[in-house]
Amino acid sequence: MPLLSVENLTVGYNTKHGSLKAVDRVSFTLKEGESLGFVGESGCGKTTMGMALMGLLPPNGSVREGEILFEGTDLLKLSSEQMRQVRWSEIAMIFQAAMNALNPVQRVGAQVAEAMLVHDDLLKEEAALAKVEELFDLVGIPRDRMLDYPHQYSGGMKQRAIIAMALACNPKLIIADEPTTALDVIVQDQILEEMKQLQKEFNLSIIFISHDISIVADMCHDIGVMYAGQLVEYGPREAVFESPVHPYTKALLASFPTLTGEKTDLAPIPGETPNLVRPPAGCRFCDRCTKPGSTCKTEPPQWVAISEEHKALCCRCK
Amino acid sequence: MNPKNDQIVHIEDVCKIYKAKGSFFGTRKKDVVALDRVSLTIPRGEIFGLVGESGSGKTTLGRLLIGLEETSSGKMFLDGEEVTHLKGKELKRFRRKVQMIFQDPYQSLNPQRSVFDTVSEPLKIHKIGLGSDKYEKARQALQAVGLAPPEDFLHRYPHRLSGGQRQRVAIARAMILNPKFVIADEPTSMLDASISAQIFNILLKMRTDFDVTLLFITHSLAAARYLCDRIAVIYRGNLMEIGPGEEVIGNPIHPYTKALLDAIPKFGQKETVRRHGTLLVRERKGGNGVGCAFFSRCSVAEEGQCSMVKPVLSERGPGHRAACFF
Repeated sequence: MPLLSVENLTVGYNTKHGSLKAVDRVSFTLKEGESLGFVGESGCGKTTMGMALMGLLPPNGSVREGEILFEGTDLLKLSSEQMRQVRWSEIAMIFQAAMNALNPVQRVGAQVAEAMLVHDDLLKEEAALAKVEELFDLVGIPRDRMLDYPHQYSGGMKQRAIIAMALACNPKLIIADEPTTALDVIVQDQILEEMKQLQKEFNLSIIFISHDISIVADMCHDIGVMYAGQLVEYGPREAVFESPVHPYTKALLASFPTLTGEKTDLAPIPGETPNLVRPPAGCRFCDRCTKPGSTCKTEPPQWVAISEEHKALCCRCK
Repeated sequence: MNPKNDQIVHIEDVCKIYKAKGSFFGTRKKDVVALDRVSLTIPRGEIFGLVGESGSGKTTLGRLLIGLEETSSGKMFLDGEEVTHLKGKELKRFRRKVQMIFQDPYQSLNPQRSVFDTVSEPLKIHKIGLGSDKYEKARQALQAVGLAPPEDFLHRYPHRLSGGQRQRVAIARAMILNPKFVIADEPTSMLDASISAQIFNILLKMRTDFDVTLLFITHSLAAARYLCDRIAVIYRGNLMEIGPGEEVIGNPIHPYTKALLDAIPKFGQKETVRRHGTLLVRERKGGNGVGCAFFSRCSVAEEGQCSMVKPVLSERGPGHRAACFF
C-alpha cells in the first residue's frame, strides 16, 4: 500500500471574480521513502495542492472533491482536532519563504523545541532541548547556535533550522514548497544534499514543489507537471525529462537555459495561462500549443498511457 | 589614460567601501568593502555578464555605473568620458546615456501611472519632444519590446499587466532615450522560466535593434551562458575570473567558479559528471582579509601564499583571466 494516495483532488477558491478550481482532479500516489516532485509556473496550483494535503487552506478555499488517503485513512474525513494531530507528527511542511517563517523574538532552539512540546504532552522541556541538539547536528548547525535569534543566522542556516523543525516530530512525509528559492546556488546545493541524506537515513517520503525544473530533476524519483490547475504529465523522472510527451512539458524544457550541450535558442512559450474562473472547454494548453488538433479546443483531453508508469493528459500524445 | 573609443565602459581600480557608523559607546564596527579594486572594460555592442552570489557586490557595481552611488576610489569612464564624480547638469546628461532595468517589475513600476506615463517619463525629464512626438516614441518603444498592438497597452495601469508584460514595460522605459549602455540587474529572477526566456530574447533583440551595450547582472551561470559574450565572476567584491562565456563555463580556472558550477543541479546529465570539489566542507580559519577572498572556503588553497597575498587577474588563455595562484 502506498503511503499517500490522492484521488481526484479538486480544490476551489471563492474570489471576487467568481469561483475557480485551483487544483482540478489531481491524482497521484507516493510510496514510502520515495520523492515526488511537482513543477509548474506560478498560479498552476502546486502550492494550493500542498496546502490542501496539510489541511491548511485559506478561509476562501476548500476541497470540493476527491480523497487524500494517508496510510489508508482519508484525511479529508478527519475532524480539525484529529487533523492537528496528524499535522507535523505525521506530515510536516517546509514552507515557501522559510526565511520569514521563524519568529524573530524567540530563540531558534526554543522554536524547534516548541514544535515537539505542542505535539507531545508528556515530553519534558529538557528532553525536548536535548532532541533539538540532535536535530541541529543532523542538519549541520553548530549546537552553540541554539540560543541565537533568527537575525543572527544566515539564510542557509535559517533554512536548516526550518528543516530541523520539520523533522522534530519524526514525520513520515515532508512537503517541501520551494524550500531553496531564496538561497544562493552553493547554499542551495548544500541544503538539497542534506535533504537527500536525511531522506535515506529516515526513509522519508518527500513531496517537492518547485518552479525550478532542474531542482526537481535532481531530487525526485517521480515528477508531476502541472498546468492551470491540472496535472498534465506524470511519470518517473527519466521518462518525463528525457522523453517528454505533453507539449507543455516540452515547451517548459525548451525555455530553460542549461550549462552543457549545444547553446540552442531558448523558446519562450507564447501567450498567457487561461483564466481559471472561466476555464476553456477543451485542453487548457490548446491556445499556446504548437500543434493543436482539430478537437483540442472543444473536447477535454483524456489521459494517455505512454508506458505503465508514464502518462499524459493530451489527445495528441498517443 | 584615455580609453579607446570602442570601449563603452572602462573602470579602473574601483573600490566601494560602506563606512560603518561608530556606535554610541564608541565601539567601531568594521567597514564593509563592497568592491575591492575592480577593473574591467566592456566594448561597444557587447553583452557582458556579471555573475555572483548575494552580497558579492554585483548590484553595487551596477549602481556605481549608473551614478546612483559614488565610488570610494578609482576611475570610471563611459564612452570615452570620465564619469567618476559627476554632479548636477553633467550627471543629468550622463543619465541620458545610461539606463537601468531593475529586478522586480512589481515594485519598479508606479501603480498609479499608466504605461504611457511610465514609458514617456524619461522624455519628460530630459525635455525631449512635443506631446504627439512622445506618443509616437512610446508607441515605438512598446512595439520594440513586443507589446503589440501598443495602443492596447499605452493606457493600461500596471495591475492589468502580467509580470512578463511589466518587465517589458520597464525595458521600453529604459530604451526610449536610445541609451548607449543599459544595466539589467537580475531582470528575470522574479519571473517564471517561460517568461524569462521571452525577456532574454528581447534583450538580445535590443542589442541588434538599438546598438546598445548591456551589462547583465545575474546569479545564474546558465542564464549568463545563454545571453552573454563575456562573463565575469565576482566574489566578495573581487573579480575572480573573466573571459568569453563558453570558456568560463566550459574551462573554468578559478576554484570559486568551479564551486559555483558544481552547485548547479545536474539537470539532464548523468550522475557520473565529475565534480570539481573545490569547496571546503568546513570553512577554514585564517582568512584575515589580506589574502585571497575565497581562501577560507577553497580546498586547493595553501596556507601562506593564499592567505597572505591577494592574487591578481592574470592571463590564462585568449581573453581569459583568473585571480588565482594555481
